[in-house]
Amino acid sequence: MKFDFVVLGATGEEGNIASKDLLESGYNVLLCGRNKSRVKALLEYKKAKFAYVDLNNIEKTASILKKSRAKIAVNCAELRMNINAMKACLIAGLHYLDLGGLQEMTIQQYKFDKDFKKRKLTALLGCGSTPGISNVMASYAVDKLDSVEHIEVGFAWDSNIKRFILPYSIESIVHELTTDPIILDNGKFKKAKACAFEGVLKFKGIEKQNTYCIVHSEVFTFKRYFDKKGLKFVHYKAGFPEHSFRVLDMLIKLGFGSKELININGINLRPIDFTREILKKIARPKNYKETEDIWIKAYGKSRGKPKKIEMDCVVRTLKGWENFGSNINTGMSISIMAQMLNKNLIKKSGITAPEEAVPPAPFFSELKKRGMHIYIGKKHFI
Amino acid sequence: MKTIGILGLGSMGKIIAKDLVETFNGKIIYLVRGVNSVKDLAKKYNAEIRYADVSKPKTLVKAFKDIDVVIHAAHHEFNLNVMKACLKSKTNYIDLGGLYHYTKKQLKLNKQFEKNNLTAIIGMGASPGITNVLAKYASKFLDKIENIEIKIGNKDFSTYKQISPLSASYSIQTILEEFSWKPAVFINGKIKFVEPISGREEYKFPEPVGTQKPQYTIHSEIATLPYTLKAKNVSFKIAFDDDFVDKIKLLKENGFMSDEKIKIGENEFNIKEVSAKILKKLPKTIPEKINQCEIIRVIVSSENKKIILDAKISGEEIDKDTGVPPSIISLMIADGKITDKGVFPPESIIPEKDFFRELAKRKIYIYKNNKKIN
Repeated sequence: MKFDFVVLGATGEEGNIASKDLLESGYNVLLCGRNKSRVKALLEYKKAKFAYVDLNNIEKTASILKKSRAKIAVNCAELRMNINAMKACLIAGLHYLDLGGLQEMTIQQYKFDKDFKKRKLTALLGCGSTPGISNVMASYAVDKLDSVEHIEVGFAWDSNIKRFILPYSIESIVHELTTDPIILDNGKFKKAKACAFEGVLKFKGIEKQNTYCIVHSEVFTFKRYFDKKGLKFVHYKAGFPEHSFRVLDMLIKLGFGSKELININGINLRPIDFTREILKKIARPKNYKETEDIWIKAYGKSRGKPKKIEMDCVVRTLKGWENFGSNINTGMSISIMAQMLNKNLIKKSGITAPEEAVPPAPFFSELKKRGMHIYIGKKHFI
Repeated sequence: MKTIGILGLGSMGKIIAKDLVETFNGKIIYLVRGVNSVKDLAKKYNAEIRYADVSKPKTLVKAFKDIDVVIHAAHHEFNLNVMKACLKSKTNYIDLGGLYHYTKKQLKLNKQFEKNNLTAIIGMGASPGITNVLAKYASKFLDKIENIEIKIGNKDFSTYKQISPLSASYSIQTILEEFSWKPAVFINGKIKFVEPISGREEYKFPEPVGTQKPQYTIHSEIATLPYTLKAKNVSFKIAFDDDFVDKIKLLKENGFMSDEKIKIGENEFNIKEVSAKILKKLPKTIPEKINQCEIIRVIVSSENKKIILDAKISGEEIDKDTGVPPSIISLMIADGKITDKGVFPPESIIPEKDFFRELAKRKIYIYKNNKKIN
């Protein structure tokens, strides 16, 4: 079978969502990962096949990518695998998309710009909800301004049943909550304190919530693409509901997010790998529903006057996708962007980000088809 | 010369070692898996070291040779292994408790210990241990016992250089078990298992401990006191601070305290064991000046009379009240003051007044209805 897309890390939750969206759109998809049992439901689609892929082995991954005859690889694996996945794509000659690399990884990934350009390939970084939808909204807002001085960006989510459910990759969460983030402050990158409290904010579809300053790639890419419009400040604010944050905070404080090996009866184990497997076992309760708001606020000038543009993308648990809660906005976004690349709606080669490469209108329209609504201020984007 | 062995030199083993070196004239032997880890202590206290691994019974039998009494201060899941080794090596035995379920199994070895002319005293720390002896002492003032209520509370006035994110006053593995196994409560002549962390209500201990929230916890007192003292109702509650309970509850609610196994990669792990290992890696609490207080309260009542007995330790490290009793009792066995043969809970064999006198020497005081008696 000739495949249209290869999904790396299809066995994880986001990989599952992206794969399902691609399959529902009628494409042939090669599902890659290390645990076939986690894509059992997806393999019921006739256009899906599984291949064992360990991203630690770049050569072998490249060979599987090549054999798939696909043009595009959708990387949904843990972000520490991003460079390996990119190298495999360069060897095999595939376009590349991923879900983001926070700050350190993103900076490393941009070093491959020339390599991708040379091969006339696109590497689109940070194609989930945030980074991803947030970047496209920012590009839309900045485009409406003559100049932009400050962008606030972030997410907030909550659930109707206050039961802890792992919101996204525990590895990313631990990194976000424990790493001192870089913020853009008066035009310069500056280190801030990890997970500093940023106050209580009210979000669309969600009541008031505590927000925290965390490490995220938008700070880096916004500066790169909006510098010419005078951008001086970027602040990333994460909003977790209390019932989720206290569990995550407690697990981190008690060492369950550690990457230092411990020895259990002669076998080495990273606590974070143990934690991931334990948390994956917690199923969403019956009638459990989530709402997430991905938001940006851009402050600048238009026709000489100060102007503020607020945008939100609100997603709720969707029928048929209940097992994924509000995480559909991450997996579906990368699927939409991959399909746009496939249809030549994304043309930029080399390393790029959604705010530079993804045309907002068709992207927002695809989100809407999937039940994810964009708001500009109080108005619904049409 | 008599010989006493300490099996396991963790925090309790070290307290026992300190007490023995101050009170015992015979030979002391440390029985440990990591010989090098106790070399300095052995040198300081003039003790001998022998290799012993609680999970390998053969090493125990060899290590116990010529020892009169072994104090088992390693984890209670090995109690039966160690007792069986004692039967082979002809060694008297003391331990710190068996969280109800192990205690039940241990009592079944009574005839074998009796036949081998050996004494085994099980659950001989603070609780179980002091609690059992207090209950026995109180029972002497009553005709027919209706209720035995055990409540333990403590308060920490220490100053610290560093505080662990999860400060536990005893083995973290034991705490995880206590918070996840259903506590046994003896009600109206029958054993009932209730939910872990239940029955958490405010209770006013004498000052300086004051108001605490003791909760039902699985404990070995319930495996013996209903039968030895013929009580109608027996309960055990211990207080932990709110922050500690919250953290352990969150771990429990999210699956980190399960007794099940989990597959990670190619390997299978016991969930609770991994969690305990992760928690043990946390930065340790480093005290500046220790000033803790613990009250072990046993209320024994008949239809018309109530005796309240308290054991109180204050101004120092409260763990001492668990480490000191087995040291006292090992001496009583070695010196021939305790001679009965078989497997006994403390209430069935310990001479209360002698024991209280020894506790007083170590600044652990007993109060009967708020009046000091030792």
